[in-house]
Amino acid sequence: MSAQPLSTTTEAPLQTRPESAGSRLRELLIGTPEIGIVAAVIVAFAVFAAINSDFASGAELQNLGIDLAGFAILAVGESFCIITGGIDLSVGSLTALFCVVSAWLNVTEGVPVIFTFLIVIAFGGLWGLFHGLLITKLGLAPFVVTLFTFIFAAGLDEAMAVNPIPITSSVFLGVVGSTVAGVPIAVIVLVVIAVVAWFALERTYLGRQIYAVGGNQEAARLAGIPVQRRVMLVYVISGACSAVVGVIVASHITSGTADSVSGWELIAIAASVIGGVSLIGGQGRIIGVVAGAALLVVLRDGLVAVNVNAYYQSMVVGLVLLLAIVVDRLRIIRLERSGKRVRRVAPVSSTELSASDGS
Amino acid sequence: MLAEPASPIVADAGGDLVLTGVRKTYGPVVVLDVPELAFRRGQVVALVGENGAGKSTMMGVISGSVTPDEGTITVAGDSLGAGTHHAQEHGVMMVSQEFPLVGQLSVAENLLLGRRPSERRFLVDWRAMESTARGMLERVGLDVPVRRKVDALSVAQRQLIEIAKALGRGPRVLILDEPTSALGPAESERVLQIARECAAAGGIVIFVGHRLNEVRQVADRIVVLRNGRLVADMTPQEATEQRIVFEMVGRDLSGEGAIQSPQADAPVTLELRGLTAEGLGPLDLAVSAGEVVGVAGLMGSGRSRLLHVLMGAIPCTGGEMLLGGKRYRPRDTADAVLSGVALIPEDRKRQGLLVDSSIRWNGTLAVLRRISLRGIVLTPRGDRTKSREVVASARVRCQSTEQSARSLSGGNQQRLIFGRWMAANPDLLLLDEPTRGVDVGAKAEIYHLIDEQRRQGMAILVASSELEELLSICHRVVVMRDGSITATFDRSEFSKERIIAAAAVDRVAS
Repeated sequence: MSAQPLSTTTEAPLQTRPESAGSRLRELLIGTPEIGIVAAVIVAFAVFAAINSDFASGAELQNLGIDLAGFAILAVGESFCIITGGIDLSVGSLTALFCVVSAWLNVTEGVPVIFTFLIVIAFGGLWGLFHGLLITKLGLAPFVVTLFTFIFAAGLDEAMAVNPIPITSSVFLGVVGSTVAGVPIAVIVLVVIAVVAWFALERTYLGRQIYAVGGNQEAARLAGIPVQRRVMLVYVISGACSAVVGVIVASHITSGTADSVSGWELIAIAASVIGGVSLIGGQGRIIGVVAGAALLVVLRDGLVAVNVNAYYQSMVVGLVLLLAIVVDRLRIIRLERSGKRVRRVAPVSSTELSASDGS
Repeated sequence: MLAEPASPIVADAGGDLVLTGVRKTYGPVVVLDVPELAFRRGQVVALVGENGAGKSTMMGVISGSVTPDEGTITVAGDSLGAGTHHAQEHGVMMVSQEFPLVGQLSVAENLLLGRRPSERRFLVDWRAMESTARGMLERVGLDVPVRRKVDALSVAQRQLIEIAKALGRGPRVLILDEPTSALGPAESERVLQIARECAAAGGIVIFVGHRLNEVRQVADRIVVLRNGRLVADMTPQEATEQRIVFEMVGRDLSGEGAIQSPQADAPVTLELRGLTAEGLGPLDLAVSAGEVVGVAGLMGSGRSRLLHVLMGAIPCTGGEMLLGGKRYRPRDTADAVLSGVALIPEDRKRQGLLVDSSIRWNGTLAVLRRISLRGIVLTPRGDRTKSREVVASARVRCQSTEQSARSLSGGNQQRLIFGRWMAANPDLLLLDEPTRGVDVGAKAEIYHLIDEQRRQGMAILVASSELEELLSICHRVVVMRDGSITATFDRSEFSKERIIAAAAVDRVAS
């Protein structure tokens, strides 16, 4: 096909200014914000380790890893919802509920550990499906639907665990207690979940469709994407992730108790946002989300390690969140500006991709 | 009370609008370079040019949203400063294509946004507000309840509200940016009349349009921009459509768009028997492979609705649909795509594009599953290869498939969506306003794409508010009114008057 481009009349020089290494680095950072977060984690860790050398010790690293596993898995599930333009406020309450339910199933009802885990995860997925159905079939706002669970599940789990249910099974406790080559099982679970989530989002058609639903729901629908099924899927994923974290928390505190994880939904949301997931939907990557969770965990545990008062810890975490969103906003403004420049250039340059790119 | 003046529409004091030495560049690219241009009172001046020719920049410079690098703009001798606020104080009102309406507010609230309709200081006087709003709507001939939320209105209705809003502020300079692109013939006629009235009352009207017949009909003067420069300044007598197009694109396009008739024995692709859906039908219609059938009708006649029902985006409630001889009843759009149906919707930005995503993501959106390994794994290479094919087949002009869809011009965005569906290779292609808001050159290319698809045996159904478009590209035109087909015209019987009559019977605009 060799139809002439009709509206190209003049040649405009392409903008190929020679770029210094510094400006190239800046462009890279603007294009992939995740690198900045990862760098921030490393810097924060190095600072804390320099002040308190115990912070980099093996035992402390294992603790850090176990804390990270909980936050990051929750944040991964949460980020799926946020990418579709939704939100899941229930993840903290559900984590607490499944912490209690898993202990109850295993200890009180005597269900074998493996089946306990499977049942709890399936239950988490089903609860997520319930959210998804209300959101898609009744058109309810995700915020409200998951707010219901946030409140309801908190009550349910307090009712179930009036007294903590101590866990004795060594297999159950091994989720956090055992290590493979020094790495706690929970951290391995995190790595597996993060890799699967990354693959699903960036290397499968499902992931692309999920991004599309968040980018422009109506356009996605008219392009033949089953929007309702994709939305239901993300809430199922988030519910199942909450269940996994519930099991990890139960194993970590060696009992099913109700008040172990209050406020975790907000940490999950904060980790996603710090990691570059846009609350408008359609954008965000798993590596950023995990790095965002890591930054929060390093700050939290690090400030404890250098004996900073708990009040200041929250203030620091809040400031980091603010910094992250402001930097992200500046980045987007910058990107839009450069986008505009491209638009002005495009109509008058006769760069036909078929010609310039045909390899 | 602020009584609504019946006439004149335009604030009386005023003078010419003069641009002197106005220049605007983005990087190395000069997007506007106008040594001198004067708009006289009492004239409708049409501003035409392709996308990227500098029309938007010129409108932006006049309305204050774009600050020129050099030059001055004066209204009645007063120099305009930067910012839209200053321009508005001087009576420069712009009706843009992107409606800055607040969807959650009512029609009346939108019309009077930023104004107070009565003397009361703190409380909103709803009654005064609504009666003022009704007066404003009457002037543009729009009949919608003023309490309705703007979200619930169609694109065409929003367009008329935008116009009413600008008129309500008594403009000295009224800029209309493709005001009729969303409208059917009767509403368009009304808008042209408003433009004339506004000029007759001593205002300056700048009319930006892509429909050349309208431009010739409404304008006292036709100014053509190309690559940011003034290339022609004509009277309507001098400005034949051919001449305008020639000035716009810099060469002759006549002869393009001629169509061949489909093969007589082509199989029927789509057949509707007594199809009904909410606000639609019962309808009977058949479209053959390689045939282009147009759907004409006023706004609200059910044109778009019909296409959305066929796409599975609106459920059908009765009757029968046959696709390639097989029963077809899509549960959702995914079903429709699997059955070989594709829809290019009317509103690119709201219904078509992921504007902030790359061209690559947009191009492969409808074929993700097909290009995935084992139907699941989307490889970067497969994705890239396919998106390049899409860009090449639809002749999207871009620097890289990684740039955002937002960065493309309107015509290129539309071609990108065409490419998305050409990759899916559907049997039935549904087009809703396929050339809305694209310029003449891009239009010709889109007609060319439609013709290519037709030749490959696709059945094509085109809904359009632009009659000339339907008459030039369709083999057959059906006319809809109140959700039903009222008339069918074969190519040999094509006549604008008869189609308009069939569309508007007992609905003549009051």
